[in-house]
Amino acid sequence: MTTEELELLLVQQPIALLHRLARGRIQRHFRAGKRRLIEVLLRHSVENRAGFESDLLTLIGEQQARLVPPASQAPAARKPKPSAPQRRTTHRPVEPESHEPGVTLSSWLDGLGVPPPQTFVPDAWQEDAIAKLRESDVVVSVPTGSGKTYVAVEAARRAIAENRTVIYTSPLKALSNTKYTEFSKLFGPDQVGILTGDRRDNGQAPLLIMTTEILRNLLYDAGGGEIDVRLDTLGLVILDESQYIADPERGVVWEETIIFCPSQAKLLLLSASIGNPHDIAEWLTTIRPTPCHLIRHSTRTVPLRAGYLHPNGKLTPFFRTIGIPHGHPSHLHPEAKRLFAQYEDETLPSGRRR
Amino acid sequence: MPPSIHPVDLIIALREKHLTPAIVFLTSRRACDEAMQAFDHSHILLPPPRQQAIATVLEKVIAQYPSIAEHPLIPTVQRIGVAAHHAGHLPSWKIAVEELMRHGCLDAVFATTTLAAGVDFPARTVIITQSSIRKSRDFMDLTIGEVQQIAGRAGRRGKDLVGFAIVTPSPYIDLNVLTKGFTGHPEAINSQFVISYPMVLNLLKAHPLDQIQPILAKSFAQFQLNQRAEVLERKLDDLRDQMEPFGPRVCTDWITEWQTFDQVRRQKSHRAPVRRHEPPELAARFHFLTPGRVVGFGRSRGVVLRQYRSKGQKSPMITALRLGGGITESPASTVTEVSDRVLDCVDAPVYPWCTPESVEELLRHLEELPGRLPELPILIPKDNEPIPDAIVQTLGDFACPTCPSRSACQRDYPFASKLRQEQHRHVKSIQALRTSLWHRFQEKIDVLQQFGYLTPASRLTDDGEWARLIRIDHSLLITELLRADAFNGADPAMLAAVMSSIAHDDDRPGAFPRVSSGLGSLLGQVRKLAVSLSPHEDPPLLRADIAAVTERWIGDPTLTWIGLCKSTTMAEGDIYRLLARTLEFLSQLRTLKGTHPGLADSASRAIAALRRGVLEELP
Repeated sequence: MTTEELELLLVQQPIALLHRLARGRIQRHFRAGKRRLIEVLLRHSVENRAGFESDLLTLIGEQQARLVPPASQAPAARKPKPSAPQRRTTHRPVEPESHEPGVTLSSWLDGLGVPPPQTFVPDAWQEDAIAKLRESDVVVSVPTGSGKTYVAVEAARRAIAENRTVIYTSPLKALSNTKYTEFSKLFGPDQVGILTGDRRDNGQAPLLIMTTEILRNLLYDAGGGEIDVRLDTLGLVILDESQYIADPERGVVWEETIIFCPSQAKLLLLSASIGNPHDIAEWLTTIRPTPCHLIRHSTRTVPLRAGYLHPNGKLTPFFRTIGIPHGHPSHLHPEAKRLFAQYEDETLPSGRRR
Repeated sequence: MPPSIHPVDLIIALREKHLTPAIVFLTSRRACDEAMQAFDHSHILLPPPRQQAIATVLEKVIAQYPSIAEHPLIPTVQRIGVAAHHAGHLPSWKIAVEELMRHGCLDAVFATTTLAAGVDFPARTVIITQSSIRKSRDFMDLTIGEVQQIAGRAGRRGKDLVGFAIVTPSPYIDLNVLTKGFTGHPEAINSQFVISYPMVLNLLKAHPLDQIQPILAKSFAQFQLNQRAEVLERKLDDLRDQMEPFGPRVCTDWITEWQTFDQVRRQKSHRAPVRRHEPPELAARFHFLTPGRVVGFGRSRGVVLRQYRSKGQKSPMITALRLGGGITESPASTVTEVSDRVLDCVDAPVYPWCTPESVEELLRHLEELPGRLPELPILIPKDNEPIPDAIVQTLGDFACPTCPSRSACQRDYPFASKLRQEQHRHVKSIQALRTSLWHRFQEKIDVLQQFGYLTPASRLTDDGEWARLIRIDHSLLITELLRADAFNGADPAMLAAVMSSIAHDDDRPGAFPRVSSGLGSLLGQVRKLAVSLSPHEDPPLLRADIAAVTERWIGDPTLTWIGLCKSTTMAEGDIYRLLARTLEFLSQLRTLKGTHPGLADSASRAIAALRRGVLEELP
């Protein structure tokens, strides 16, 4: 290869390739423009012409191999966006990038509908939670919509039957109100009271609903000497949505409430799915007189499916499987993937990829 | 292609696939409102029987909460069967929407993600249009727990066989966040224990100081700190095992010994730093070679114009005006005589370092000087030699050079010292983890003692006794305001207005009613106090415009809710929340009947005035 030929060849290459070629040969090559880079490369190549040429040819070969897509890939999806989970799979051999087609829309939609009316049978974990609450505190961490309220209601019913006071707390006033209406229907209006910051309705009822802050204040008043009759007969404290313990501003209130909760009362913590419910249970075990029982599960009562709706109204499954493939974020449905890549191509400013 | 699906098309698509009822989570309140507007002229009406069903349910709710009877969204809700539900709405409206959802009357609810954490109303389908959520002025990616909480609203027990969580793209959506959220394991939660002033006061009311530490140790915060400490302790044990072969050798603490020896050796081997050597008399003299000083150079004589130390020159330099008019730069060492005479000279920033006139003047004076001048007596310190580094001197004291284990020490030192450093670091962190809560508590005690809520023995003072009943945010500011009698003579409206400006923590801008001058000046005082307390407690926003809203509501009993809403651009739900929070603050003040009867009375009157209309509806 003469110098002119080499120069011509270099001129034809994209600048990225030139930079790769310059790596290790030329200092601060990334500062140079294309013309300057070629100039410097040529000057450098004098030292080891053969090595330089062979490197160049290898790089060109690699480049071409990358440009020609594997036969299996559809030409329509030109270079699908390399998403992060996909990249991760290259490190993990356990997750083969299967090319089996995803489920069809009709099979994904299959099963949609109203279940036949059946008598309510509590799940095993619900029974378990209520039974365990007789002798110990219970932490329940289950997915949203699994029926935590049933546990709360049944536990409250039993405690009331034993003439103990029950306190039910929720993080939001709005939730307290909803529960007040709901429980009033269940237990009868004279059995349920609500305490808010500035008023109390039916404050001597056996089942009291309040926000967690109010309960904390009650407990502080009791500690300060102002005895509240309700705390004497307190048999059960239900803290709903207790994942709020991780709330940056209000989380401390849950901790205070749990720390100062009278030891004769049982604690029932209801929480959405969290990563470390065993920590909460262990913590309760260390500070409460009885060891705490943890109830957790991650299967939903009503199975969940994920879908993708394109802005043009086309609906496809989101994952290859009908259900949600837990632990496999890369099992996206090919159609959803293609549509989303198309969406990004059309909506993102040109040349910008996320 | 549109950046996201049109709400009408969305509802059509959902109906067609029988995916209703659905909750559509949108990024902002405004997005929800705009989605509702999109249905204004659409013709995807509900069949009349369903419209009738909605009307029936609404009637029932309106009977209980009359404030929503004229809600502007009602026509759309009835015609199309869609509703919006976000924090800008009144609680009663939200209750109505929830009630409609529970009866299965609606096809879709447009909601913000705050709903996901809030009320329990599931649907068959959840539409997710975003991958981030606004948290304190910043957009954050949804956590796995949040995605699951949102998606978890899909699928009603007993009403659906399956639930659907459907992603539809909108600008700025990141699919990876959602796929991870769907398939991942929710994050672990961490304690957010903060020690507040009321907490300290209430704990010290119930328990003596020496019992506090065990109580703090019962917190989840300490439990998690202990967990981290235990991890470190395990590491420490490992380190101890690894340190086994590096036990005592010839000297017990050979690592330290070798470390010092090594350091000293290195120091010694280093080239001594370049040091200008100045004879002591020169250094002593140089101090006096100030501009205007008459000095002798051998037989000649001159006046110093400036002195300087130059990097290029070894010795300190002076610029001198010589007899005969020459200006020379010469080393200070060439000065043979320092006279006690100083001539006046006017400094200038550039060569010749004094004004031309004063050069003339100096020359004249110089020539007029007598031949002999008394010398300035300069005391020359004797022992000005720098003492060589003490450690360097003692290099001979080390046993290492001749020690039999020298080679072993030299070989093991880098590894062993790294291990030991790690050990020290862990020990320190463990200590910090075990005691940090207690230290934070003590810091608060110090502040409370300083302000006089606690005695030096950490018992509650008279002020502390009532201050512990104020268990709200910014409690220190409020108690200090009470001690300063800031509300003395303030009417209920003013008191409530100040409380609401302390309670409100949203900086959403908007148009608000005018502030009365009395309230303005009172707020100015409050702000001054808040700023002075800022080292101990973050000051609240103290927005005067927000206070004005409350002031109007209380000050004018004939003002209707609609009238109040019209006076500001604040959303209805925000006004409601503001007033509800003000109520909460006021009811805390009401508990101070025993010590502040006037204030408590004012607070109860404010509460009575506040609680009317919409605020009366809810318990």
